[in-house]
Amino acid sequence: MSETNRRNFLAATGIGAVAGTVAVVAGPAEAVTRRSKESAQEPVVAYVEDHGSDALRLMVGQREVVVHDRELVTRLLNAAGRN
Amino acid sequence: MSSHREAPEMSKDPVADSTDVYAFISPDKPDTVTIIANYIPLQAPDGGPNFYEFGDDVSYEIHIANHRQARPDITYRFDFTTKIRNPDTFLYNTGQINDIGDTAWNRPQYYSVTRIENGTEHVIARALRVPPVNVGKRSTPNYAHLSTQAVHKVGSRTFFAGQRADAFHVDLGSVFDLGGLRPFNSLHAIPLANMNGINSLKSYNVHTIAMQVPVSDLTRNHDHPSNVMGARSVIGVWTTAGRRASRMFDKSAGKFVGHGPYNQVSRLGNPLFNEVLVPMAEKDMWNARAPRGDSAFAKYVDHPELAKLLPVLYPTAFPHLKDYKKARADLNAILLTGIPSGVVPGFQNYTGPVASDMLRLNVAVPPTKNPNNIGLIAGDPAGFPNGRRLNDDVVTIELRAIAGATIPLVDPSYTPDGAASQVTDGTTNNNAKVTGSFPYLGLPGGGYQTVPGTTSAS
Repeated sequence: MSETNRRNFLAATGIGAVAGTVAVVAGPAEAVTRRSKESAQEPVVAYVEDHGSDALRLMVGQREVVVHDRELVTRLLNAAGRN
Repeated sequence: MSSHREAPEMSKDPVADSTDVYAFISPDKPDTVTIIANYIPLQAPDGGPNFYEFGDDVSYEIHIANHRQARPDITYRFDFTTKIRNPDTFLYNTGQINDIGDTAWNRPQYYSVTRIENGTEHVIARALRVPPVNVGKRSTPNYAHLSTQAVHKVGSRTFFAGQRADAFHVDLGSVFDLGGLRPFNSLHAIPLANMNGINSLKSYNVHTIAMQVPVSDLTRNHDHPSNVMGARSVIGVWTTAGRRASRMFDKSAGKFVGHGPYNQVSRLGNPLFNEVLVPMAEKDMWNARAPRGDSAFAKYVDHPELAKLLPVLYPTAFPHLKDYKKARADLNAILLTGIPSGVVPGFQNYTGPVASDMLRLNVAVPPTKNPNNIGLIAGDPAGFPNGRRLNDDVVTIELRAIAGATIPLVDPSYTPDGAASQVTDGTTNNNAKVTGSFPYLGLPGGGYQTVPGTTSAS
C-alpha cells in the first residue's frame, strides 16, 4: 500500500471500520491526509488476524482486500491497546 | 442426518445448514434433471411467531462439475430478499393468506437466480416469490394453491424455493444413542428389546430450493448423452451455503450487517459423508472447503470409524468386517471418484481421479418405472449412488456399504458378514408422500395441524 493510500485508509477507518471509541490519531506530518477518489465509500471492517504479522484484512462491500503494511498494523494495534 | 446439524459450528446456524441434496432424472420429464437442495433442518411446523425462512444474508448455491476436475463448471446461485409490509404488528400474517401476493402476509420473501458458467454470471430471474410457511388452517387454508403459485417457469427452467416436508427418514434417537439400530437391539453390546425403527424426521419441515432444467443445461457439451459408459454422461453435484466474511451487530438498527465476500460455511454432496465419516474436529473445516480438496479426508473413507465400531457394538454380527484391514476401495469409488466401468456391469459414474465428495449422476440412465429404494446395490441403476432420488433409503444403503456389503465389488476375496445385507435402522419412509411432479417433495405440515409427541426421561 502506498503512503498516500495508507493515509486514506486511516481516514476511512475513522468513519466505519475500527470498533471502539479510540480514534486513530494521525501524527503531525499526516494532519493533511485527504481521501482519494478511489477511497471506499461504504463501511469498512479491518481485521488484524495475527498481531505479529504485517497483514491487514479489509472487508468492504463484497470484497476483501489484504494489505501488508507493518506501520499501519502497528498503529492499529497501538490504537486498540489504548482502549 | 443426512447432514442435519452435522457439524458443531453449523449446528448453531440452521439457516445456512445444508440438510440434503437430491439429483435425479425427472421421472415425469426425462429430458430434464431435477436438483433439490434442502436447508434449515428440523422445523417444527408450529414454530411461530417468527416462522422459518431463507436467510437474506446467506448465499445458497448449487454446483455442477462436468469436466472431470471436481470444479464448479456451472453454478446456480439463489439470493433472497425479505420485506416487512407492516412494521407495526408482531404478526407473521394479519389475515388469511389466500394468494402468494396477499398483503395479509407480513414477511414476503423473494429471490433471484444467477447462473454462472465459465466465470460469467447471468441473472436469469429476479423477484421470484417464495410461498409463506404453512401456518395453519386459518392462515393458509389452501396451502397447495400457494405452493403451485411458487413454481416459476423461467424459459426452459423451472424453480421453486420454499417450505416443504422433509423426505429424509432416519432413527436419530437410536442411532446417536451409542449406535443403536432398533431391529438389532438384542445384538447390541448394551442389549434392549428388538423393535422397529422410529423416523425422527416424520413431522418436520425443511426449506427447499429446487430446480428442474434440461439435461443439456448441465452437461459438458450441452447435449443429452445416451451412452451410459460415456465419460461425458456423468455430472457431479454439490450444494453450498455462504456467509459474509464479517458479521457485525448494528445496535441502532437491531440487526446484523455483513461485510466482505461470501465464504462457504456449509457443503453437501453424498449424504452422511461429513456426518458419519469426518471426525468432529474437522467437520466445519470440511464444510468450508471445495470438493477437489477432499483427498485430505480420503483416510476417513479408506478406514471409516463406523466400520470399526460396528463389530464392537454388535460383537457377534460382523466378524469378517472386524478382520478386514485393507483400505476401503469400494467406499472410495462410491463416494470420492464415482464407480468406474468394469465394477458394475453396464454402469459407471466415474468423474475422474480427483478425490471429491460429489453426488454423481449418470444422465444417460433413464428413470426406473418401478424404483427400488436400495438403489444401485439392489440392481436399480437410476438410484443412489447414481444421483439420489427422494425415496432412496440412503441410511440403509450406506450402512450396508460401510458394513462390508460392497467390498466384493472391488475385492472378490472378501465374503461379507450375513448381517451386512440385512443391517438397517428400521425406519420406513412415513414422511409426507412425495408427489409426482415438481418440486416432488410433500407439502409442509401445518402449524395448527401439528400435534407434538410425548417425550420420556427414562
